[in-house]
Amino acid sequence: MPIPLSRGRGRYSESIMDWLDRLSIGAIAGITLIAMGMLANQAIVKKDQGNAGIVAVDKKAAYALRMDQDKKIYHEVVSLKDRGLYAEAMAGLNDILKRYPENPLSYVYTAQLHLGQGNLGEGIHSYRRAVEMEPDYVDDRTPLFIGDQIRELVTEGREKFGREKKLKPKDREVRKILKDIYYLQSRLAGGCE
Amino acid sequence: MKILQKMLDASIVTGALLGLGGVFLTYLGNPVNSGICVSCFVENIAGALQLHNDPRMSYIRPELIGFLLGSFLVAVKTGRFRVRGGSSSIIRFFVGFFIIVGCAVFIGCPIKMILRLAAGDLTAIAATLGLIFGVWLGVRYIKGGFVLDQPRELPRINGFVIPLLAIILLIFLLVDPVFIKTGQKGPAAWHAPVYVSLLVGLAIGVSAQRSGLCITGGLRNFLLAAEKTLLTGVLTAFLVALIAGSLLGQFSWGMNAQPASHLSHGWTFLAMTMVGLASILIDGCPFRQLIKAGEGDVDAGITTLGMLLGGGFTYAWTLRSTSAGPTFEGKIVVLAGLVFSLVIAMAFRKRIQEKKIPEGRELVRE
Repeated sequence: MPIPLSRGRGRYSESIMDWLDRLSIGAIAGITLIAMGMLANQAIVKKDQGNAGIVAVDKKAAYALRMDQDKKIYHEVVSLKDRGLYAEAMAGLNDILKRYPENPLSYVYTAQLHLGQGNLGEGIHSYRRAVEMEPDYVDDRTPLFIGDQIRELVTEGREKFGREKKLKPKDREVRKILKDIYYLQSRLAGGCE
Repeated sequence: MKILQKMLDASIVTGALLGLGGVFLTYLGNPVNSGICVSCFVENIAGALQLHNDPRMSYIRPELIGFLLGSFLVAVKTGRFRVRGGSSSIIRFFVGFFIIVGCAVFIGCPIKMILRLAAGDLTAIAATLGLIFGVWLGVRYIKGGFVLDQPRELPRINGFVIPLLAIILLIFLLVDPVFIKTGQKGPAAWHAPVYVSLLVGLAIGVSAQRSGLCITGGLRNFLLAAEKTLLTGVLTAFLVALIAGSLLGQFSWGMNAQPASHLSHGWTFLAMTMVGLASILIDGCPFRQLIKAGEGDVDAGITTLGMLLGGGFTYAWTLRSTSAGPTFEGKIVVLAGLVFSLVIAMAFRKRIQEKKIPEGRELVRE
């Protein structure tokens, strides 16, 4: 039998809903509705400013802008590389690396220059640095994806340096290159990284 | 109906759901070998809440919401929603933090460890050995008198806080407000359809609440008392993932070319030793903590919050390993976590003292 509420005498019961409870429930419901309304409004604002389509367009535009800027920065280097002037292209790349140390594309071109000169190990190492700096290079959902060329290189490198490891099992350089290859293989495999 | 209830109670069913769910979710879009990974997903949620700023790892994973709500709903429905807590909460919070960092150094929680192993990733062997060793250590401490202080019954409302947070996260996921960050590339962009992830999570949450399946708990029960019920569930998860993964072309045998893995086996072993030991101290792996948080265990809820903080710090402090291996910071925090766990294990030991009493000698717990 619940004890009836008696205002001012310090007696109360949990089973009876009094005016304070009703007021509290009203306040909770009211505040919740206001908060939900505000949240919904906020969400609509985000939708207006950046719904899925707009986000995709922004993303695409950002990539396009970046690729356009890179084209300008590396124009000279690419031209020298295409003409087979690897030493000159490498000197140009070193200048760019000083000016834009955060641009991972320098390492992609470094890799290509090493490969052009037949230096597979250095090429693989440069690709590793590029992927470490820019994971999009191995993300096939981005326009920067160059995973196919890296995969080809990794397959070639694995065969070559796998054989070399058998011949020179303690060679540090070979082990270092194999580590780079394993790193690139792991990144190409995807996963939560 | 009774058959269904019995099935739900069987850890073998939870194990099968975990194995199948892990493979199925990867097939539908989750990251490779990460169909289900409590630590990775906690890191994703921490990123979405802007506790770290790596957009590649920022997404509210519905699977974890499903675990929590599935456990909550079935516990309420079956009268198992028992609100308790107050057992060394602050310690559990930091243990939760260290567990997630340990998982991040290996790159995966104990469930992902099983999924990686079942997918042919041999680098997970060191993790498995480390986890078993950590659990064995924990069992040694239990046998040596370790016991955390007993939780007590708490007012019922305490038990609703974490499930409510899960519901709020679900709303954030569906409404996508401005303050929630959702990555458009990298692992954040790899996910199964939301409703599928949520349903799989709910099914696993319901089943796990009934069966009590826990990866470290299964190992503990076996090492402590040769009790195999939970371990059978763990082995089932492995076998089902192995079979389903092979059928769906997710099996790739080897040490190299494994997704999100590294070759620093020593640190993998140490990190998972810490995860195993710490999980024994707080009575459950990260997955079990979520399930317990859903069924009214406030301490597990606090551990979950510690895990969330850990998920944020793994990126903010670069504690997480990459394919290149563990970072210096990650190694230091693994060692700190081991020290922390050992201190806790020692501090809560009720040592056996030999006391002389008139009738002779008798062992008495201090």
